[in-house]
Amino acid sequence: MSRETTLYPRARIPYGTWGTSFFPAWQTSALAEVNIGQFAAESMNRILGLRRVSTSALEYLILGSTIPWHWKFWNAPMLAATFGRRIPGFHLEQACATGLQAVLAAAAQVDGHGGDVVGVLTFDRTSDSPVGVFPERRAYERTFALNDVWENFGFDPATGKAMIQTAGAAARKHKLDRREVDEVVFCRYQQYFEAKNSGFLDKVCVPLDLLSVQGKPMGRIDQDNGVKQITMEALREMRELDTCVTAGGQTHASDGMATLLVTTKERAAELSPRPEIDIKLIARTEVRANPSMMPEAPSLAVQKLFARTGFTMDDIAVTKNHNPFAVNDVIFSKLLKHDWKKVNRTGCSLVWGHPQGPTLTRSLIEGLEEAVMLGGGRVLLFGCAAGDVGIAAIFEVTDAGRKQ
Amino acid sequence: MATSSTSMRQSTLETLGLGAPLDAFRNGRLPADTASLVDQVFGPANDRGCLVISGANGIVGAGKTMQFASRLQPYGVTVVGLDMPNAPDGIGQKYPGLVATFGPEGAARIMGSIVQLKYDGKTLPPALAGFKPRFLLEAIPEILDIKKSHYSTFRAAFPGIEIRSVTSGFPSRELGVGVAHPAFPHEINKVFEIVEEKPSAITQLLWSMGLLPMEVGDHWAFILDVLFCGVTSAALQYHERSNTPYWKIDKFVRKYFGPNPLRAHDAIGAKGANFLTWSCLHHLSKEYGPLFEPTADLTERKDTGQGWYPPNHFRPLVDWALTAADEEEFRASIAGPIIQMTALMLHERRSHLSQMNAIGEICAQFRSGVLAMIRSMGAAKAKSLVAAYHVQNPSAAKSAWHAEALDRISDPEWQQLYVNAEHDGQVGVITISRESYNSDVDVELNRAIDWLTSAKIDRVILSSDLHLSTQMVGADTSEFYPALDDVAAGQSLSARWSATARRLHTDFKTSVGVVTGKRCLGGMLELISHCHFVVAVKGTQLGLPEVTLPVVPGMEGCHWNFRKAKSADWPKLMTMLLSGRSVKAEDAVGWLIDASGSVNESLAAAWAMASGTSQIERRAFNAGALSGLPEPTGLPAVEGPSLEAGRKAILDCVRASCGASLADAIAIQAKHSAEFMKTTACRKGRVGSEFSKTMAV
Repeated sequence: MSRETTLYPRARIPYGTWGTSFFPAWQTSALAEVNIGQFAAESMNRILGLRRVSTSALEYLILGSTIPWHWKFWNAPMLAATFGRRIPGFHLEQACATGLQAVLAAAAQVDGHGGDVVGVLTFDRTSDSPVGVFPERRAYERTFALNDVWENFGFDPATGKAMIQTAGAAARKHKLDRREVDEVVFCRYQQYFEAKNSGFLDKVCVPLDLLSVQGKPMGRIDQDNGVKQITMEALREMRELDTCVTAGGQTHASDGMATLLVTTKERAAELSPRPEIDIKLIARTEVRANPSMMPEAPSLAVQKLFARTGFTMDDIAVTKNHNPFAVNDVIFSKLLKHDWKKVNRTGCSLVWGHPQGPTLTRSLIEGLEEAVMLGGGRVLLFGCAAGDVGIAAIFEVTDAGRKQ
Repeated sequence: MATSSTSMRQSTLETLGLGAPLDAFRNGRLPADTASLVDQVFGPANDRGCLVISGANGIVGAGKTMQFASRLQPYGVTVVGLDMPNAPDGIGQKYPGLVATFGPEGAARIMGSIVQLKYDGKTLPPALAGFKPRFLLEAIPEILDIKKSHYSTFRAAFPGIEIRSVTSGFPSRELGVGVAHPAFPHEINKVFEIVEEKPSAITQLLWSMGLLPMEVGDHWAFILDVLFCGVTSAALQYHERSNTPYWKIDKFVRKYFGPNPLRAHDAIGAKGANFLTWSCLHHLSKEYGPLFEPTADLTERKDTGQGWYPPNHFRPLVDWALTAADEEEFRASIAGPIIQMTALMLHERRSHLSQMNAIGEICAQFRSGVLAMIRSMGAAKAKSLVAAYHVQNPSAAKSAWHAEALDRISDPEWQQLYVNAEHDGQVGVITISRESYNSDVDVELNRAIDWLTSAKIDRVILSSDLHLSTQMVGADTSEFYPALDDVAAGQSLSARWSATARRLHTDFKTSVGVVTGKRCLGGMLELISHCHFVVAVKGTQLGLPEVTLPVVPGMEGCHWNFRKAKSADWPKLMTMLLSGRSVKAEDAVGWLIDASGSVNESLAAAWAMASGTSQIERRAFNAGALSGLPEPTGLPAVEGPSLEAGRKAILDCVRASCGASLADAIAIQAKHSAEFMKTTACRKGRVGSEFSKTMAV
């Protein structure tokens, strides 16, 4: 892989055919009460309709979600059927890397002629979780009941540690300063609200009206509910849950969906409202950090990606990451020698939450929109995932209509 | 007695070879009677033949078996239901409905007149000959070769047998037999689109039995199917462009136009209905081009039998709303192709315009008939909607677009879709062919009155048209929707309609209202009560059910009849208004109407009254303030606060409008009626609920 290489050369993301729901926190919205898969599929249909893309164009559907949902067994074909299309597809998951892995899988699908227009639909509901009951004859309980979200967050079977412990451990390893971590948190909230107030989120997030089973209005999802302005004083006063980790310095559970299309260059030009914009995938990589060092894994992935491609941060126009802990961003700054203020300029998952499946899809969409606003450039997207995994990818946005 | 007469336009009755309504009144009898037509079609009583319905256990066949058997049983005509040995028992499934309508004894009598025979589709059962088949109503699958072979088999076995096909698509010229295409739901919908060279005894028999035969042209797919399949196709094309879910498109179509085309497919049975719609559009596209091209999803569902609405466990989660721009686009998407299709049918002169319009309302659930809809928007707007549709679907512009067919909107045939008038120089007859009163009827009725008065006709009969409108059910409550939020709109509607009704009282020396159908209710009874005389056929239900909705009668129902009745009869009027119960015509003579008898007696009585030869005297009319109104007594309990509020509002209106002079009463009634429509009670009632269900989507 080098600077000149394009990963999946046949694949393109058509500009402006994407969208995400807002991500309401915890049980603050009706999303906490619905089949999130059905919601995601109907929302995808709605978003594509608003973007003037007929779902009849879809040839394949790739789902990304991490938490079991009702009728998950029936997978992508079933969700496609909710908007009236009988197309094939499948489901994948890799914790918080899911949103990017689904896009990569879609690109591979297009590149391998598995379908010229592939829909990516990622979603999750982390505000509440199903409980799986597993026969475990070697466990003393004999039958094991597992709350899919919270008990997994609290226990990595490979290390015996909780997620939050990886943040504390990584902070200690990199000798982070709590004050800097608080400053990152404060900055991220400022970035989010600046983006929101500028109208940037309107390009990305689509308000969606929910119906009850009786067909009556059940509420409108038009805010990242639960996200409030935060003060430095409040951050300073927060109790440390682990080293450099406070309630403010970590993300929260939320629910939502995100969707985009991956297609060929020709079809992208037909489907996009701005055919002069070309978006392609340049490179990708994944790494696995040492045990319980999850927050440094994304930075290691970026370093590996740069080493393989020859790019540096100077070649990147937009940097977006999934940062469940503010610790992640400070470590990234240290390892990549890059000002954390230049990262996540339009918001991030630390602020708008952590619905897992769609997290990196929303980050990607925000990053691509930002790159288009800048007139083009490369988008670096990276994040961590369960198992001390880091994932990173570079996309390139070219705006042929932009006056130089 | 042949006397010349003139009319605003041809009556639809005349297209059946039955003369004009004026002739029926002048002759004092209906133009045809069932007994003699049964003799003509099935032979005399001592040699009575049978009706054979083939495919009798199918959706159409079973429905028609019930409909015909219930009407022919009194005349000793056996209905033979013929079907394959493995056909599920469709006729038996209809029995509970039969019991509900006719009671156990009536149902048993009707079922006793039905004989079911099985055959292999090729060889007729030997027992059939014993029933002497005279008329075959074919309802077998829509496969041309099978149908033609079926007719040959019958003709070989029973030379001279009359055959009609219920086909929804094949022209008569392809089939080689006449067509009697019925509309869903088949056991109760009375409409038949008839294709035949000239009106036959069979068609006239259908009319005499209270069914609605309408002569239509011989084309691929008939008017109903062009409209119904057309609106379905338009909805699916919109889905294709916008992704709007089928269920939501259905709600939008219902809101703006009236039908639920996709729900209707599911209700009829998606497997069969999808095939019929696809088949209709497929044949039409072969004949007329891309305007009718079935969409890919219809083709898929034709093959798979999938329904359109999501199953219960997948009730929709995400709603869809239309912006103002979306709404404009949606209207063009649906109205555009429908207007183009209608222009095509006009170009081909497929039927009497009133019938074409009525088929859309009665059978395809258009809130306003397609011709009335086009008329209200005007030709220029209609053409612009088609042009907007052609931007969305350019291929549709390439053929079958007869814009010039919309240029004759000012012709009487277009202008008088619902109301006709005729006169013989002395007596005029105004006929209404819509069962519920709406603003279109109101405008047309005013034009009819103007037409008669300009011809110096001062004696008039007001009646249903003896054809398309078999009953008079009241006001079209969808007209009330604007009044739910706007008192001024309600007052305007009430005052306007009441003013029209008063013209029957003021503009003629003698006016006679005639009710020949099963019922005359609500606004229609209020209208007809304004005539100097009212005649109703024995057994007809007369009533003011507004309290059950609840609404306050808006066409002077709260005071007009009190002014015509003796004070001793006021309690009856009060009870009728406040209970919502109907009375039979024969029980209402003297206080609500002036005469009642058989149909022919009623026609004759009306003519005598209008001609001035009747011995029945006009009831006195008190235009002053009435006093001594009774307190309501003996009223049945009402359920719920809404109905209680409605009853109180009506009582208040009765007291206020009766207590005023005639000159003031019209405004008082309008005010009471309009103010109540904005109340929570009305909102929670039937009108408000219908509004919420259909318009607030």
